[in-house]
Amino acid sequence: MSAQPQSKVTRLRPDGGARPDLEFWVVGISHHTAPVSLRERMAFSAEGLAPAARRLVASSPGVVEAVVLSTCNRVEVFAMVRADADPVGPVVEFLGREHSVPPALLDQHRYAHRGRAAVRHLFRVASSLDSMMVGEPQILGQLKEQYRLATDDGIASARIRPCFERAFRVAKRVRSETGIASKAVSVSSAAVDLAQRIFDDLGDKTAMIIGAGKMSVLAARHLQGHGIASVIVTNRSFDRAVEMARGFGGTPVPFERYTQYLHLADVVLGSVATSGHILGVGQMADVMRARRRKPMFLIDLGVPRNFDPAINDLDNVYLYNIDDLSRVADEHRAEREREAIRAEEIVEEETERFWRGLSARDLTPTIVALRGRLDQIRRAELDRALSALQRLEPPERRALEAMTTAIVNKILHAPTAMLKALASESDAESAAEIAEMVHRLFALEPLEGEARGGPGVRDDGDDQGE
Amino acid sequence: MNESNLLHASLLAYLCAILAGGIDLAQPGNTTRRVASWSLGTGFLLQAGAILLRSGEVGSFAVGSFAEQVAFLTWLVAGIFLAIARRYRLAVLGAIVATIAFAGALMALVDHGGVRDLPAALRSPWLPVHVGLAFLGNAAFAFACLVSLIYLWQERKLKAHSLDARMRGLPSLETLDQANYRCLTWGFVMLTLSILSGVLWAELSFGRLWSWEPRTMWTAVIWMLYAGLLHGRVTVGWGGRQAARLTIAGFLVLLVSFIGVNLFSPGRHAVSFG
Repeated sequence: MSAQPQSKVTRLRPDGGARPDLEFWVVGISHHTAPVSLRERMAFSAEGLAPAARRLVASSPGVVEAVVLSTCNRVEVFAMVRADADPVGPVVEFLGREHSVPPALLDQHRYAHRGRAAVRHLFRVASSLDSMMVGEPQILGQLKEQYRLATDDGIASARIRPCFERAFRVAKRVRSETGIASKAVSVSSAAVDLAQRIFDDLGDKTAMIIGAGKMSVLAARHLQGHGIASVIVTNRSFDRAVEMARGFGGTPVPFERYTQYLHLADVVLGSVATSGHILGVGQMADVMRARRRKPMFLIDLGVPRNFDPAINDLDNVYLYNIDDLSRVADEHRAEREREAIRAEEIVEEETERFWRGLSARDLTPTIVALRGRLDQIRRAELDRALSALQRLEPPERRALEAMTTAIVNKILHAPTAMLKALASESDAESAAEIAEMVHRLFALEPLEGEARGGPGVRDDGDDQGE
Repeated sequence: MNESNLLHASLLAYLCAILAGGIDLAQPGNTTRRVASWSLGTGFLLQAGAILLRSGEVGSFAVGSFAEQVAFLTWLVAGIFLAIARRYRLAVLGAIVATIAFAGALMALVDHGGVRDLPAALRSPWLPVHVGLAFLGNAAFAFACLVSLIYLWQERKLKAHSLDARMRGLPSLETLDQANYRCLTWGFVMLTLSILSGVLWAELSFGRLWSWEPRTMWTAVIWMLYAGLLHGRVTVGWGGRQAARLTIAGFLVLLVSFIGVNLFSPGRHAVSFG
């Protein structure tokens, strides 16, 4: 066979493997890699997100769709990028330009993942496994909101959508199947957690705040956030009590007579500066009688102690001090770490499943096989014709070569475009049916499921940049 | 499908519920919990079939032998659990309830006796009413006792400031206390109705309102115990730990009298209806 110019077809099939046209990438900085001094300079405003993504796509060759995620702990660009382009440089330059940060500095702190590693990263972020406070629930809301902004703008669309929609589902599964989000790890959330172990519903309960300690105000805010019905406030300075009560939408009572109101409270927070106990066992026993022994939860946040520790021995009274609460928070933290391991397993499993689904949806191998088949026919027929036409000069041979290649390309143009369109529109099952039909129509080699990569996502295994 | 087949099948279902419930205790998950409650429900229905078949065979309500009575009681406990577990978030108790139901069904299977003749005096439509009400009451008291045990365990943990991962799925103390109150109230109503139906039945067929024999004596004692407990709850505000302890004590008395009377005492209420 004569020397042939490298045709487009042969370049498309390196070693017979499939090369998808788009890859999923993430490039960014987070609390894992960058100090807060850098992170705070990098934050985008909510309204600035979509325009920024637009500028990114315009300035970065190969980037087709993008979602920018910006929170206090991370600034990340999720993008669909053409397979032959490397987006890391352009994205870093873009981030530097947007925030006037030297790209060289960013390069020291950025990470980049592609393909399957990028998918896993997105799933971990959505499931709050990559958060500073692992399991904190806000990140999912932020991700959803910022993804919505990008889709409303149109800068994120059909190619990137499956990754994000699956990420939201994975996050939901992690939350429902592990205790990762249910554990109170701060002192004030431990207080709320305990209140919920004792009381069925905080909606008909009353809290009393004695003193204006920072911790007790924080805990009271937390209780209010969990629906506690009303708040009574008392303070040595009545003016301060009135002021605080206004802040809580509660009722102020004078400090001298607060015990008269104590039986109304189900949760009591004490943080008064005092030399001795402000509440003794005898007083508390009277209070319990007055409220017909309904359970009471006392939280002593004062140093020295506000409440006599012996109060805890009374029936239906639960007294916790600041040390008890931090121990509870510590235990919860340890348990959350155990839950995080289970959550990681779920993310791993979902990444694997998503990956396999994508691979199944890919029609690239079918397109490649189809091209290969037609090219094989072309070449066989060409060889036969050329051997019959011995006397042809090289220029004429080349003309025949070019003509037959052009015919094959013209024939393939419409079906290739159609197959690509179908691949992005259909689910894994119907894509497999389409592939099967094409293979049978043109008597192509049978499909080998495992050998194929996914469209828009190519797993190059190792991550870059970390 | 005969009775012993049904019992075997229900034992299998209960076993499945115990396993799934046990796994759920060790590592809570929606799937295991669902499997546990569906298995328990299946076992409950299968055992219901067994009890019906047996009753048809005997020609009357099949609570003639001690084993049958125990099985009927545990079956009712499972039924109450299925009815209220979701409402009071008691699903964590699934494994315990399934174990109790399993033990009861096993007794019925082992003691699977032949047909006993019922004395003519007891062949009456009053029998299922009277006995059914009594057992419903007992099952409610058993459930109150179970809830109280959980209450005391969790209460002790909270008092000692040492939380336990196993507490995660448990209902709050307040919920447990309410469940205790509900079960006691229903149990008391059933027990009272059962006594009234017994009195009425005795009056109509024997011409005597009340005959003093061990079962009736004990029942009177138990009725007064629970009446006192409920009275204390309503007026004095007994609740929480106190109520839980008294509930458990009350049920222990009930249990001792139930076993004692059934195994050792003569009278119209004795097992063989002799």
